[in-house]
Amino acid sequence: MAKKVLLVDDSTTTLMMEEMILKQRTAYQTVTAKDGLDAIARAVEETPDLVLMDVVMPRMNGFEACKRMRLESSLRNTPIILVTTRGEEEYVEAGFQSGCNDYITKPINSRELVTLLHNYLGE
Amino acid sequence: MTAFLSHRKQNEEQDAANALTAQAKVYAAMTRLQSSVDQADSLEAVREIAANLMGCEEVALYKFDQDRAALWLYWSFGIDPNKHSYFDIIREPRLEQVVAGKIVFDAGSNDAALLSIATPVTALVPIISSGQVRGVLVLFRLLPQRTGLDAADQQICEVLSNYAGRALAPV
Repeated sequence: MAKKVLLVDDSTTTLMMEEMILKQRTAYQTVTAKDGLDAIARAVEETPDLVLMDVVMPRMNGFEACKRMRLESSLRNTPIILVTTRGEEEYVEAGFQSGCNDYITKPINSRELVTLLHNYLGE
Repeated sequence: MTAFLSHRKQNEEQDAANALTAQAKVYAAMTRLQSSVDQADSLEAVREIAANLMGCEEVALYKFDQDRAALWLYWSFGIDPNKHSYFDIIREPRLEQVVAGKIVFDAGSNDAALLSIATPVTALVPIISSGQVRGVLVLFRLLPQRTGLDAADQQICEVLSNYAGRALAPV
């Protein structure tokens, strides 16, 4: 069965790009969410194998959504990768404190993204 | 010989990955702009594309005055609007090229600045609608992780030039 990736971003442009890259370069199935609150609901419902989530979003940001996902027993061990516009140490540290496993900086490069996802999910 | 073939394979893989990145970004940019529902959504699409696909969070859109002699700030994101509210086209040689429909990119540190302002400018993009240049999109500083625009970014600028016209005028 194909591995499932939950893509979370309030930007439809980013979601379209990520979906296209994963469709062309991987066999993963994708589901999407538009903000942190939506992401938690989708994650509980879909139990994805990995979550790729933006940080700056309306209603609930990626750090908070990550923290709350870690409180759900079904998502406690799900790899969460945060997508940030800033790679500064403090920002990355905040991400790891919220419970994420890894991070990637925008703008996303297809090779970097696919390699990162392969590391967690296999090819 | 093996090392040469391995190196060539790596280069081919890198080229394929770059091509896919470009293809995915251009597809996303074009689809987003074409599916924008009104002017406000089109402006949001421009912001999303610049920030998320190109790594530029300082963007401004300028509109011509009646004589097409000056450009006035129409919309911006991430810059101080009072600092860059107006450009006199005759005093900005690169803008004259843009007004004629050419996209102008910053070619690197040794090149002259694109505009006579202190803020770094990465690209000047003519916004074309019904075959006419209606305004200019200015991409200022890139995010620190970006060292410059690549081929994919240049293709995205082409898309912005040809599909962002709705951002300048209510439908």
